[in-house]
Amino acid sequence: MLKIKNLKAGYEEQEILHGVDLEVKAGEIVAIIGPNGSGKSTFLKSIFNLCDVFSGKIIFKDKNITRMPTHELIYEGISYVPQGRQVFSDLTVKENLEMGAFIMENHELLRRNIRDVFEKFPFLKEKQNDYAFTLSGGQQQMLAIARALMQNPELLLLDEPSLGLSPKMTKEVFDKIKAINKEGVSIIVVEQNAKKAVEIAHRTYIFEDGKVALSGGKEILKNKRIKNIYFGGR
Amino acid sequence: MITQLIVNGLIAGAIYALVASGFSLIYSTCKFVHFAHGAVIAFSAYFLYFLFSMLGLNFGFSVVLAIIFASILGYGMNLIYKQFRKRKTSSVILLIASFALLIFVESLILILFGADVKTIGYIKIARGLEVFGAIITPLQIAIILISLVLLFLLFFFMKKTKIGKAMRAVSDNKDVAEVVGISSEKIYGYSFIIGSAIAGIAAILVGLEQNLEPMMGTNLMIKGFTGAIIGGIGSVSGAILGSFLLGFVENFGIWFLPSGYKDAIAFIILFIFLLFKPKGILGIKRSVEKE
Repeated sequence: MLKIKNLKAGYEEQEILHGVDLEVKAGEIVAIIGPNGSGKSTFLKSIFNLCDVFSGKIIFKDKNITRMPTHELIYEGISYVPQGRQVFSDLTVKENLEMGAFIMENHELLRRNIRDVFEKFPFLKEKQNDYAFTLSGGQQQMLAIARALMQNPELLLLDEPSLGLSPKMTKEVFDKIKAINKEGVSIIVVEQNAKKAVEIAHRTYIFEDGKVALSGGKEILKNKRIKNIYFGGR
Repeated sequence: MITQLIVNGLIAGAIYALVASGFSLIYSTCKFVHFAHGAVIAFSAYFLYFLFSMLGLNFGFSVVLAIIFASILGYGMNLIYKQFRKRKTSSVILLIASFALLIFVESLILILFGADVKTIGYIKIARGLEVFGAIITPLQIAIILISLVLLFLLFFFMKKTKIGKAMRAVSDNKDVAEVVGISSEKIYGYSFIIGSAIAGIAAILVGLEQNLEPMMGTNLMIKGFTGAIIGGIGSVSGAILGSFLLGFVENFGIWFLPSGYKDAIAFIILFIFLLFKPKGILGIKRSVEKE
């Protein structure tokens, strides 16, 4: 579904990704883990054209989408949830969802999507007229994901969805991610919480210094070197 | 006496609110202080003078053209700011650029129309009506009503329409707005068009009520800016509230002080708010909750 070949990207002069190859098959959850500064977030941003792509190719459903403008990427079926519970805090919950579907012209579809999202996240329906800043951290993260679902994505890019959340809330968010995937949405999830991410992912890529250091399935947890770096060597 | 002061406060507040709401709308989305907004007001008032008093065109037609002119002028200024934004200049540079535009346009007015005071003279000096002991002219009643209707429409637009909501979204979090496919540059353009159209309407009302002079924009901008600071900069409803407050305080102030101090009152309030409550009346609440 998504094929990335020898991607080099960064910001203006500074190259952060030095040639990344990665693939996501339809229906997969792919986790990306790695230390701070290894280029995980930059990688997601480069797919969504939010940083500078210097060379390489991003192919989505046999179409070259490298450096495609954001609203066109949303049309193609890619949605992105940025790091850190990014909601429109001065807008109501419902307005946040409507803004998720900003590029959508079809009102019938918009109403249906809001209904679907309310079904998946019942608390959003209850709080639809509340301002988003009144929600808890975990609820805001859910709202950010729900906002992306308003765009009917085929591929969802999640940047550190568990950042700053309690373990209980983290579990809820990860359960939702699994549920969304079950409905056929492919997902790339970048995570600090490596163990959790590997557990829900079909395959995992480990980034180091802007390159893929290792990739594989759940067996990656048993890899000695990885164990030492990410799971405290136990 | 008190009713007269209330009426005078309402008239002044209505004008300040029109200036401040457009300015505040632009500030809230673009996040920089567009002082040249005052120049849009001044030039539009002169443009109405040019069409109606000099060319002798139909008044209604001149008014519509003046409002369109204001929008185009504001949008044109945004195109200049856009060049700065492309180079990722700071908001301080943009502030200086807006001052430069203000001075440029005022000088242009001086060259084109001269320094002497102009009168549009559409409305012959009418005898005021007496309402509860206060004297008010039909034009002044129209100023208050038009302002209130416009401000209500603006409020409705921001709350209920898709573009209005998108403006609030960009104002709130530009990066997320981009992520959901809202182009912030487009929204900046809309804010300038709408904010400047309101400025154009303010220009017409001021132009009919007072004389035109090249520096009128700066004077109005100071009042509008003060109103916006009092109410909480970046909040359109705050700017409206602050402007009416300013109108009342100014007019009640001259009950105690000689009328020459009217402008000084605005400055003193501006300083007090900048020193002790820089986030204004409506601004403070949200910032606490955000932390």
